[in-house]
Amino acid sequence: MRFSIYRYNPETDAAPTMQTMELAGADVTPDMMLLEALRLLKAQDESLTFRHSCGEGVCGSDAMNINGRNGLACTTPLVDLKQPITIRPLPGMPVIRDLVVDLSQFYHQYRSIKPYLVVHDPEPEMEYLQTPQERDKLDGLYECILCGCCSTACPSFWWNPDKFRGPAALLQAYRFIADSRDQATAERLDALEGPYRLFRCHTVMNCVDVCPKGLNPTKAIGQIKKIMLKHLI
Amino acid sequence: MSWRAHGSRAWLMQRVSAVYLAVYIVMFGLYLLLDAPTSYPAWREWMGLPFIAVATSVFFAALLMHAWVGLRDVIMDYARPPVIRFILLTSVALGLFAMGLWVLRVLMLIPTPLSIVTVASGILPLATLVHPCTA
Repeated sequence: MRFSIYRYNPETDAAPTMQTMELAGADVTPDMMLLEALRLLKAQDESLTFRHSCGEGVCGSDAMNINGRNGLACTTPLVDLKQPITIRPLPGMPVIRDLVVDLSQFYHQYRSIKPYLVVHDPEPEMEYLQTPQERDKLDGLYECILCGCCSTACPSFWWNPDKFRGPAALLQAYRFIADSRDQATAERLDALEGPYRLFRCHTVMNCVDVCPKGLNPTKAIGQIKKIMLKHLI
Repeated sequence: MSWRAHGSRAWLMQRVSAVYLAVYIVMFGLYLLLDAPTSYPAWREWMGLPFIAVATSVFFAALLMHAWVGLRDVIMDYARPPVIRFILLTSVALGLFAMGLWVLRVLMLIPTPLSIVTVASGILPLATLVHPCTA
């Protein structure tokens, strides 16, 4: 099985290169995920660098660009991939080493939407209660693992990573706007006003296409616009 | 059509104008298909109907507004250096403004309640009411 892998060490290399690597057919099992293969390749060449942790699509560490498409190595079956399997880091982000990118900007955008409940009332003595219907509104939003596949597949985020919040952060912005326990809807909407933060989304929908958890940031962005409209008129 | 319209307001303007443009274009198309004017005077008379004249004026206002929001979005995405962005935005704004004036002049050539009001208020000289072809 043939691989073409992006190699770059900004401290020593003048430019990135694509390294051809090979895995013996005997090493490949039918149910193998890409992450397993990368581990075997790393055994061949220990300098190959990539992030990974849980290995089952929960932590979001091993997001990378696989044959031109962002995804998680640990949940991508090897047999479905066309050879040579081309592995690159997430697009548009500064490369630290090989497949490891600097996600500071991504996290900065996530922090800026205040990803926590804001409550102005005195805290209740019991836990916050929510009806099952209110809880249902959070489905399709809370599952986000912040792997960064969506935002780094978004052309608007490529052009304006410093100003546009990006699909991942906007999905989370809506997660807290939609939460019946949150009391900061108006502040949250105000914080997304302006031409860049929310409105750079041109519904390209790359985010929906690549999300390894099957979430729909475009729909969430549409919902935010709808709520803004209600507040506007 | 304002420099300051951004974010939700620009987005709303773009959507509302898009709906109007779509409705107008379909109605206008249907008129041309089903009841096309057979002569220039008939066409002028139809364009002079108060309802049509107002709907057409609103159409061009919506078109210019829609174009402004859309082109501004494209320039904001692709023209990064501030000087180039400023030049492009200014050119687009001036271009659209000029087109707006031109449209206004064309519409004013048709004697409609709108043009009569404009002439009466001294915005346009009476002479512009006479079409060059018929003068």
